[in-house]
Amino acid sequence: MRKHGVMFAAFLTAILLSGCWDQRELGEITVVTGMAVDKGEDDKYTLTVEGINATELNNRTASGNAPSIVYSAEGNSLAELTYRVNEGISRHLIYSHMRTLIIGEELAKEGIIDFIDFLERNREIRDDFNILIARGGKGSDVLKVTYQFQKSTSLKLHTQLDTMMKDWGGDPGVRMNDVITAWTAPGRQPVMAAVSIKGDPEAGPSAENMMKVTPDALVILDSLAIFKGDKLEGFLTLEDSRNYLWIQNKINKTSITVKCSESQYMGLRVYDTRTKIKGKLENGKAKINIKIRAEAYIDGTHCNDQFDKAKTYKESGETAQKQINEMVTKTIEKVQEEYGTDIFGFGEVVMRQDYQNFKKVKKSWDEKFAEADINVDTTLIIRRTGIRTKSFLNEVK
Amino acid sequence: MSILKSLLKMRKKEYPVQPQEAAETGPDLKSMSLEQLKKRINAEFGSTVDLSMDELKTEGKDALLIYLKTMIDTKLLKETILQSLSVKEDGIELTTEDDLKSLCKEKFGGAGYQLVESFDDIITALLYGNIIIIFKDMEKALSLSMDSGEDRSITEPSTQTVIRGPKDGFVESISTNVRLLRKRIKNKHLRFEKFIIGSETNTSVYIGYMKGISNEKIVQEVRKRLGQIKVNAIFESGNIEELIADKSATPFPLALNTERPDSVASNLLEGKIAILVDGTPFVLVVPAVLVDFFSIAEDYYQNFMMGSFLRMIRYLSFMIALITPSLYVGILTFHHELLPTPLLLGIIAQREGVPFPAVIEVLLMEVTFEILREAGVRMPRAVGQTVSIVGALVIGQAAAEAGIISNIMVIIVAITAIANFVSPTYSFAAAARLLRFLLIIVSAFLGLYGVLIVLVFIVAHLSSLRSFGVPYLSPVAPFIIEQQKDVFFRFPIWSMRKRPAYLKSQNPEKFPKTGSPSPPPMEGEQSN
Repeated sequence: MRKHGVMFAAFLTAILLSGCWDQRELGEITVVTGMAVDKGEDDKYTLTVEGINATELNNRTASGNAPSIVYSAEGNSLAELTYRVNEGISRHLIYSHMRTLIIGEELAKEGIIDFIDFLERNREIRDDFNILIARGGKGSDVLKVTYQFQKSTSLKLHTQLDTMMKDWGGDPGVRMNDVITAWTAPGRQPVMAAVSIKGDPEAGPSAENMMKVTPDALVILDSLAIFKGDKLEGFLTLEDSRNYLWIQNKINKTSITVKCSESQYMGLRVYDTRTKIKGKLENGKAKINIKIRAEAYIDGTHCNDQFDKAKTYKESGETAQKQINEMVTKTIEKVQEEYGTDIFGFGEVVMRQDYQNFKKVKKSWDEKFAEADINVDTTLIIRRTGIRTKSFLNEVK
Repeated sequence: MSILKSLLKMRKKEYPVQPQEAAETGPDLKSMSLEQLKKRINAEFGSTVDLSMDELKTEGKDALLIYLKTMIDTKLLKETILQSLSVKEDGIELTTEDDLKSLCKEKFGGAGYQLVESFDDIITALLYGNIIIIFKDMEKALSLSMDSGEDRSITEPSTQTVIRGPKDGFVESISTNVRLLRKRIKNKHLRFEKFIIGSETNTSVYIGYMKGISNEKIVQEVRKRLGQIKVNAIFESGNIEELIADKSATPFPLALNTERPDSVASNLLEGKIAILVDGTPFVLVVPAVLVDFFSIAEDYYQNFMMGSFLRMIRYLSFMIALITPSLYVGILTFHHELLPTPLLLGIIAQREGVPFPAVIEVLLMEVTFEILREAGVRMPRAVGQTVSIVGALVIGQAAAEAGIISNIMVIIVAITAIANFVSPTYSFAAAARLLRFLLIIVSAFLGLYGVLIVLVFIVAHLSSLRSFGVPYLSPVAPFIIEQQKDVFFRFPIWSMRKRPAYLKSQNPEKFPKTGSPSPPPMEGEQSN
């Protein structure tokens, strides 16, 4: 009997003393969807959080007030600041729905690795939020801009980047865990998408901004931020960003414009593409072979090409191939010459395929990258021409 | 303290047991004159108004005709018995028992007569709607069944209705119920045994089983348990169910009850045992396992794919009815991260201004719904509409509009309630109704972890249950591969050849192997 009693007590202890302790009623919480980290004036960081005013996001309950509250606090560790922001916000903040982290350019140039540890360690914050750089400004300003549909910038950016990546490929699709992988894995440097405010940053944080057809301030996807270690090195254009994705085999769909004759162009929709990279070190020099295979359809042409013959398809395809080769090579060369930081992960490829040689240059890989021979070989096949074979341009009187 | 003590004392105090009258068998009939007999019976019944005792002279003898007016068919009495008796005949002279026997054979042969001897037998026979004729100076009395047979006619069952399938249901009369079963199973091996249970109600209880199919040990166990019942009254099969269950501290029913003769018949053929109780249309089927409460007769009357689909819907509904409210409480108070952001924001927007924590909101609504439901069952039919209007409008719409509860809560309560109604057996749905509240409270304190713990407890409890020795979770645990054809899926009938193995039937195969039906071979094609 006594034995049973002890067992029962142990059992009850196990059940009743465990369990979830972080009880929070919905009425007492504010969901944080976005966070911005900037360089602090006195202390190390300024943390800005965007807490959602859920009532405004629901069509039935919205009354035209501000969709969110943005508040900043300054301090030396994010871990403390995430709770310190309650000096201005009434409810408990929950970070488990954070979608976007925006880092100010100034801070990014100085290095960001310190506070990323907090983001990775924290039990609430997910590791798959978008991580962005605010180009030419402060992250907090970006966070404050309102928008018509998702209303809050952090939610807007999360959707926008995803859409962009799927349809055209301007966003590198970098989440926090990608950045950490890039830092820890040899032979790769991180990139991040960069955003900027188009228009007047002062006009962004108001409900009027989201009532206008052409908002006074709008957050746009600006460019690709490239890093060396944890320090921001510079920016590439959106075109480069797309080419970067192409090399990473992350393009879902994209559109390219191909010159078919003098000042006349042809639009191609690329929908099925695979990229394979081969790399090795020969006599201390890296050789990288990039093979791109793509399928596309004609999405509009200025030229009078007759797409009823197989030859036309082939010729157009070859023109496009040449252009893609040039485009991609140019992007890589630009990175090699200007920044000399291997954002493409060629080092990883070489490490996998030629480990013995890579071991020797592991420490100085970025130098090897800067002088590597890059060869891009594209195969593009045009499969369809939309719902027209012959263009009406032929028959125009 | 002193109150408690006195209460305890009260419990200990023994009440005087009523003296048992059964011990004395009563004086034999021969020694008493008719006048004495009359007095005696009148005394036994305390001159109840419906007792009728007529003196008559027939076959050259004085006799006493006794019956309870309310229990017999008086028309039948007049037409047949009195006419045949009153005819004066000189041939027979009643002096010995043999004379009585031959008289009965001659007059009432085929009418189901009985000769009774003891005084108690006479009383019992009267109570069951028989008439008694006591001839002067005879040792035995004549007892004739003349039950008025006035019962509710057979109607469609009000519970467990089907779209396709027989529409007749059991009624309150046990003989009608047996007839309904006999009509479905025309087989000499269908046996019924009678028990009289209830020391004061003397209710007839039949057990029915298929000789040669059902497990003799289980039948014996049923006989034993019925024999052990010592209560004074049985009014419904629910009384029996509670008294013969393997375990009474469980919310789950350990016997299947049904109003449908077809479902009882099919269970009998599986090797189960039916318990019929006089005075109720609900027949018990034992042993019952968990999966029985999810399968209904209609599963077998329609396409097997549809049958399987509906069965899975039933399992799903049970889970919905059991855990939805507790998931709501758990996720909203502990696990916000489990919801997609737009959904969470939507719920927050709706709950903005709701003054209660989620658990109070849920309990409030669930209890309100239970009250409405109980009112819906108990209220007089005439005010039925009022309750539904009050329920739908006042509680649902107005409470949400007033901001006392959120709209999503109304959806949760509604889906829980509807899912609960899916359960084909009312007593099984009741288990989900009860456990739901436990889950809600636990989840308010411990979150989804608590929900999981309670679910583990429920499974542990279920696997500890036995119904007449058969594990309640069979054939899932212990796992029997052959029986899986009729658990989550309903396989085509030609493939389900085996009776449930957990019943250990004497004849485990239902029919020889036939294979699936196939079209005749085409002309010119070789038949295999």
